[in-house]
Amino acid sequence: MRRGTWHQCGHNSQILVAELMEAGLGVGAIISPKDLALDKAKEYAAQYRGLGKGVLFDPQFYEPEFAAGKLGTYPTAAFRQSIGALGALQPSVMTGLAQALETENRELGCDAVIAPAIPYEAARPDIVGLNARLFDAAKAAGDAIGIPTYATIVLGHSTTTLDVAQAILSGATALNADGWYYAFEFDAQQRLPTDIEAVYRYGTAGLTLACTGKPVLHACAGPLANISYGAGARGAGIGIWQNLWGFTRSKFQPATAQGGGGDAPPRYFSAPLWGTIVHPDETLQLPSGLHARVMQHSPYSQNLTPGVPWSKREASKHLVHVIATATEPLAQSADARQAMSAAIATLVAANALHGAIRSTGVQLRDSTDTYQSAWAAAGTRLLANNTDDYDWLELSGGP
Amino acid sequence: MVFIVPIDSARAQFPDYTFIAALTPSAQKSAFHVQRAGKDYCLKIIAPNQGLDRVQREVLAMQALDHTNVVKILEYEYSAKAGQVRHYMVEEFVAGDDLSAHFSPGQPWTLGKIAAVFAPLCDGLAALEDNRIVHRDLKPSNVRMRPDGSPVIIDFGLARMLDMASITATVDGAMIGTPRYFSPEQFRGSKRDIDHRTDLYALGVLLYEAAVGRHPSLQPGMQTMDELSDAVCTSESFVNDTTFKALTPRLQLTVRRLLEKERAKRPTSARIVAKVLKDLGGV
Repeated sequence: MRRGTWHQCGHNSQILVAELMEAGLGVGAIISPKDLALDKAKEYAAQYRGLGKGVLFDPQFYEPEFAAGKLGTYPTAAFRQSIGALGALQPSVMTGLAQALETENRELGCDAVIAPAIPYEAARPDIVGLNARLFDAAKAAGDAIGIPTYATIVLGHSTTTLDVAQAILSGATALNADGWYYAFEFDAQQRLPTDIEAVYRYGTAGLTLACTGKPVLHACAGPLANISYGAGARGAGIGIWQNLWGFTRSKFQPATAQGGGGDAPPRYFSAPLWGTIVHPDETLQLPSGLHARVMQHSPYSQNLTPGVPWSKREASKHLVHVIATATEPLAQSADARQAMSAAIATLVAANALHGAIRSTGVQLRDSTDTYQSAWAAAGTRLLANNTDDYDWLELSGGP
Repeated sequence: MVFIVPIDSARAQFPDYTFIAALTPSAQKSAFHVQRAGKDYCLKIIAPNQGLDRVQREVLAMQALDHTNVVKILEYEYSAKAGQVRHYMVEEFVAGDDLSAHFSPGQPWTLGKIAAVFAPLCDGLAALEDNRIVHRDLKPSNVRMRPDGSPVIIDFGLARMLDMASITATVDGAMIGTPRYFSPEQFRGSKRDIDHRTDLYALGVLLYEAAVGRHPSLQPGMQTMDELSDAVCTSESFVNDTTFKALTPRLQLTVRRLLEKERAKRPTSARIVAKVLKDLGGV
């Protein structure tokens, strides 16, 4: 698994991803079939590979019955059905799924096969059993192509305690995988999680996976990528849109309303804030000293004019640039503990900067100052409570 | 109940072999040290109550292996002629003694001896992993020690191939094995939870016994299986032992990881444990 930022494709971001890759950002892309027909996916995959980047394909069986839209153009569409129906599939049909996965991954030139899987839930051994069968099909595809197979582990929202998470992971890590494609279903009502306990469970589960000695790719990590690397991730998926931050099942259900964000003004992702600020509405309100501290530019924001609306495309690329650049040293570190300490330092400093902004009477939108302290607290607790995990990870060679 | 075939009866059944001695029998097999053409072997007569499928699974598992730290099966036969059933296997004879002969209460091993024995033992377990085999009954009497001190894993009576469709053939498998070396998932009787990390738990018990000089969970006065089960499934008091606390941090950590209650927290491979143990020194 290539170490570093993986572009999490979705919401028609393929062209932007290519532009970011051309600028040298990221080690590969995770293609989303929901938003991209197979023929176009092949074109983009070839383009990404031509830039020397990796390609992964997330088959997105998270709502296995959902087969509408672009998903219908993929061979695996024939296998999208209810959990019960999938569980009842005969071995001969699973062979067909393996062949479909092989076709898709071969045609896209993937680095590894990401296995289809249903989000794991508490007290659902049927899901463990079904995911094992789906993984076997993926493994057969990976072996046939001669590439690794990553098991998909999404901890669903019923994973409300550490014990539940660990019990689920005991079953999931029994799979003979070459790596883990990992996500955690946080409270869907929040753009970014603010629950310390939930972030702690996310990090602990990620660390447990890293301790298996197999590489871990945190899907849909977004700004959480710094915590991901502190929890032993080798790669983190970062999307250009905020709605690619975090795993939410609703993404894989039929849309019930118009999406796209309407005419909302672009957000400026500030590394010192470790969050967004609306430009120009909010940036104009900052006193000059704080303005200078907040606005740390990327190649995509250098021509930003105070008071003048910004291009959403540039804002999106700036966002990925900032997160990818800031987390790159963490990704390259073979020491997860050190990465977590660095992540905590960034978050603590961000929290202080938010405090300084609040003290001037400026209230930022998007609840953008609500999660940094929670993440720092969760990271601090991870370091304190999981010393054996960090020691074992180090002893067995690091992330 | 142990299956015993008198050595004279065995001689009569297998006239091609010279019977040297009867070995420790089990419920599944009566075993003998035999010779043929001047070479030593271990001949195992299989108890008639053992399912043919299960035995053949064992044979299949063992025949897939060729590793210096795992016993080799050389011959297997099941035949029924004129009402006479012959069901037996011939294995490599491993001279030496059992690992149990090397354990003495209150006498922990040196770091060098731990590395010298347990690193190759892990290599053998890694070979099992590679072949998707879980031993499920790793214990001192199932580890032979050659005269040169190298360990050999023997007796795959409870082994199963993880990817065989016939896994359900061991429906009663929850409580077979040796409770003293049972993992939490074996005590819980959750058959579907048994995988190669079950063997790594047993390895952790063996490693603790070698390094500390006592069993990690058995306490003086413990009388029942329930007490042992409780200790294995819930207690971590083994870390408070003064001898354990005096071990190197690396060895303590390795033992703690092997004895984790949840499989997810145990090492995923004996190969990683072997690497760590080799770095302890002495190998």
